[in-house]
Amino acid sequence: MIDVENLSIRLGDFVLDSIDFHVPNGNYGVLMGKTGSGKTSIMESICGLLNTSGGTIKVMGRNVTNLKPASRGIGFVPQDGALFSTMTVRNHLGFALSIRKWERQRIEKRVVELAETLKILHLLDRIPYRLSGGEQQRVSLGRALSYYPNVLCLDEPFSALDDETREDMYKLLKLIVDQMGITVFHITHSYHEARRLADKIFRLENGKILEWDS
Amino acid sequence: MTSGSIFVKLSSSFGLNLLYGIGLNRPRFFLLASMIVFAALALFLILDLHESSSPSSEPPILLYCAAGIKPPVEMVVRNYEAEYDCKIDIQYGGSGTLLSNLKIAGIGDLYVVADESYIEIARQKNLVEEVIPLAVMTPVIAVPKGNPKGVDSIQTLIDGNYKIALGNPGAASIGKISKKLLTESGDWSAIKEHTTVFYPTVPEIANSVKLGTVDAGIVWDATVNQYSDLDLVRVPELELGPQKTTVGVLKTAKNPATALRFARYLAARDRGLIQFKNYGYVPVSGDIWREKPEILFFSGGVNRPAVEQTIQKFEVREGVKVTRVYNGCGILVSQIRAGEKPDAYFACDVSFMTRVQSQFDDSTDISETDIIILTKKGNPKQILALRDLAQAGLRLGVANPDQSALGDLTRRMLLSEGLYDDIIKNVRVETPTADLLVNQLLVGPLDAVIVYEANCANVLDNLELIRLDLSLAKAIQPIAVGRRSGHKHLARRLLEAIQSPQSQIEFESIGFRWIRGRDKGI
Amino acid sequence: MSLEIERETSFRVSSDVPFLASLWIIGGVYIILILSLLIADASYSTPSHFLKALQSEEIRYAIKLSLVSCTMAAILSLWVAIPIGYLMSRYDFRGKIFFDAILDIPIVLPPLVIGLSLLILFQTPIGRAIESKVTITYGIPAVILAQFMVACAFAVRAMRVSFDQLDPRQEQVALTLGCNRNRAFWLVVLPEVRHGILTAATLAWSRSLGEFGPILIFAGATRMRTEVLPTTVFLELSIGNVEAAVAVSLLMVFAAMIVLVIVRIYGLKGAIKFNQ
Repeated sequence: MIDVENLSIRLGDFVLDSIDFHVPNGNYGVLMGKTGSGKTSIMESICGLLNTSGGTIKVMGRNVTNLKPASRGIGFVPQDGALFSTMTVRNHLGFALSIRKWERQRIEKRVVELAETLKILHLLDRIPYRLSGGEQQRVSLGRALSYYPNVLCLDEPFSALDDETREDMYKLLKLIVDQMGITVFHITHSYHEARRLADKIFRLENGKILEWDS
Repeated sequence: MTSGSIFVKLSSSFGLNLLYGIGLNRPRFFLLASMIVFAALALFLILDLHESSSPSSEPPILLYCAAGIKPPVEMVVRNYEAEYDCKIDIQYGGSGTLLSNLKIAGIGDLYVVADESYIEIARQKNLVEEVIPLAVMTPVIAVPKGNPKGVDSIQTLIDGNYKIALGNPGAASIGKISKKLLTESGDWSAIKEHTTVFYPTVPEIANSVKLGTVDAGIVWDATVNQYSDLDLVRVPELELGPQKTTVGVLKTAKNPATALRFARYLAARDRGLIQFKNYGYVPVSGDIWREKPEILFFSGGVNRPAVEQTIQKFEVREGVKVTRVYNGCGILVSQIRAGEKPDAYFACDVSFMTRVQSQFDDSTDISETDIIILTKKGNPKQILALRDLAQAGLRLGVANPDQSALGDLTRRMLLSEGLYDDIIKNVRVETPTADLLVNQLLVGPLDAVIVYEANCANVLDNLELIRLDLSLAKAIQPIAVGRRSGHKHLARRLLEAIQSPQSQIEFESIGFRWIRGRDKGI
Repeated sequence: MSLEIERETSFRVSSDVPFLASLWIIGGVYIILILSLLIADASYSTPSHFLKALQSEEIRYAIKLSLVSCTMAAILSLWVAIPIGYLMSRYDFRGKIFFDAILDIPIVLPPLVIGLSLLILFQTPIGRAIESKVTITYGIPAVILAQFMVACAFAVRAMRVSFDQLDPRQEQVALTLGCNRNRAFWLVVLPEVRHGILTAATLAWSRSLGEFGPILIFAGATRMRTEVLPTTVFLELSIGNVEAAVAVSLLMVFAAMIVLVIVRIYGLKGAIKFNQ
């Protein structure tokens, strides 16, 4: 679960105050709002990539506000995938696991498992340059999920995809999330996407988060 | 194969194994590789490029050389390195620039320049010890071969529309001299107007005339002689300023004897100076080359305690041998007349220099000492003036007038006072040198002796000194270099050492009066 | 009121030829200028001078020393420039402006002053202490040090720009995946800036090759010891041997071009493919 209480962010002139919201465990939370309203900044704060100037962030009940990103147990899929241009897909999927010093066998197993689920088994030895947009997003997703994080943050992951691919991705995502019991925090500006995926929808309007039931 | 896919192939074969184990990764690998490469290159430098253990145990000599004199100096260095197992590093630049460099760097053994004024400055800044002249160069106008523009005088350069290159007065000897000579002839401001460029070194001026970027430049005659495509034009204004190329031994020299040895080689008429002549310089008459020269030094006995220390230090510093012959001046003079050729002669009195002046260069008076009467402590015979020596029963000791200057001066003094016959009766002993007289007085049967004040330095506790208020009771010590000496410059340096302030202290502590420089009105 | 809309049937955009032509003319003239310098040099010398230069023991030494010292200076520069570039790019701290200004000093100062300052530095008590253990002034280490002082400043600038241009996202993702900053730097950031590193290295290397002033003052111009190729040109000129000086200059150009072209080919190939 994700608990954000009284969060405030200062980024130059941009200010957000008293941000509160709660995503229950295992739920799929979606945040919507106008472009530039600060959605990405909130996500970055949750991941530990942006310094906050007040408030608390709790993940699975644990206060992670002052923890480094690595210790928060949050998987992050940024807007353009941000793949490592010199590594193969295999290395991407196994990256977090080698950091955690898993044995080679175990990593292999997990990598293959992820690749099968994400249907990228045939791409394991490719480099990002030679992947399509959709393939890249899947790799990014796999990378984030590889080490069984508690929370998954997705920043407009599908905005660059065509409708058909997107639909496939929705199905895939839902499948994985249900399988792994992960709490998700997903930013999008598509109502359709929100309604397809979300258990809870939030709107960021005028610096305030409102729950949105439709 | 793109760099990327090569990278990736390597990376994945590496990465699969290594990334999973988080041991090495590509950038760390490169870091390691770069360190190995760096170490390998450093090793290569040390072993291959660096002169591995110079055969000679001596560290290399560092020579600062003005750029314009490079050709002959370089030749001499090569010859020296071949003849002797010694390495010489040469630093080139404009004379002025080099001076700044060596002052800041604080290391170096020798400094060779085109004109003495830089050596003077170096001396004033207390950077240089000994100075040895090498060759003479005169400024001339350099023009392209055949003198196409018909330059024949300074006036031509001023009147015509010529492009001229000069040396920078602050950085190069030639620049300074050009400015000085032309200022004296009143042409400097006019020439400056027409000067296209000021270069910091002589070769650059010559190059620009050679390349044709200027029509004429003022350089040394020796420089023009080295360029086959240049001619020189001598003009009276510049002929007034010949400059001596000189080598100075720096105070920072780690091993002065080694440095001086090379300096002597450079200045030797049968070694270094030959090269200078080959390159179109007018060499000075230098010393003959000897690896460890020996010079013969004649000196009156009275001078010995005053100069002995100085000479020893000189021997060590220069790495030479000075054979000292101390004796009565009369003996020395007869030896010289018989054919001995000392390289330097330090007489007890001018009268014994004039007798053999033809064998020596002009002499310099260094010191003087009074002739005095020395008697037993308490002055038992109550001697107060010269005539008291005529008293009956007095046992007197004097120096032999033929063998020593002291004896000769004593006799002249007695004769002029009209006391000769009276006092000569009392002479019991005649010796060739004064120190024997002093000894006799101390231990033996004499009551008084007539000696120099300078002979009495150590005995004044036991004996009594009586002054003579007579104009003739004085000896003046001159020193001179042998006219036909093969080591004139070395001998002159010895003389300089004897005339140094430290030496003056030695002289004065013994009882000489220092007069060096007095006749110059200082 | 109805709007009369004229649909565009054909709009003749003006030709691109003048634009391209002017680009080519400017580029062409500049290239011709550079080439003319080389051709003028070449015409002053003769192939026999060139060969004579290559046979000279001193010049061969100078070539070796130049290549070795430039490489070492470039490696040193990278070791220093990469961390500093990263620091300046990613972190803010008090006095950063002054720090930045100080980093630019070696670029702003005339190289001659750098050489002089090095000379003076090694006469201070600390400097003398170092000198008593290892000869630096007027020795080979001085050559490398002088080259490094000048080249590194440029390398720092190049690396800073590289890091600035790097999208921070990849580094951030690495952090979330469990890396600390050190791991993220080695595993993710450095591979991403490899082209920047190559650029900085070539910059440092070529700058070192051409450096002359500080080497002359601090390392001297001793043949078979601290003589690098630019020094050779100076020494040959100083005895009026213009032909030899030109021959060596062309040699330098030749050597530099080989290295630069090879590095460019290797680097660009990757760059074109990897840039989206």
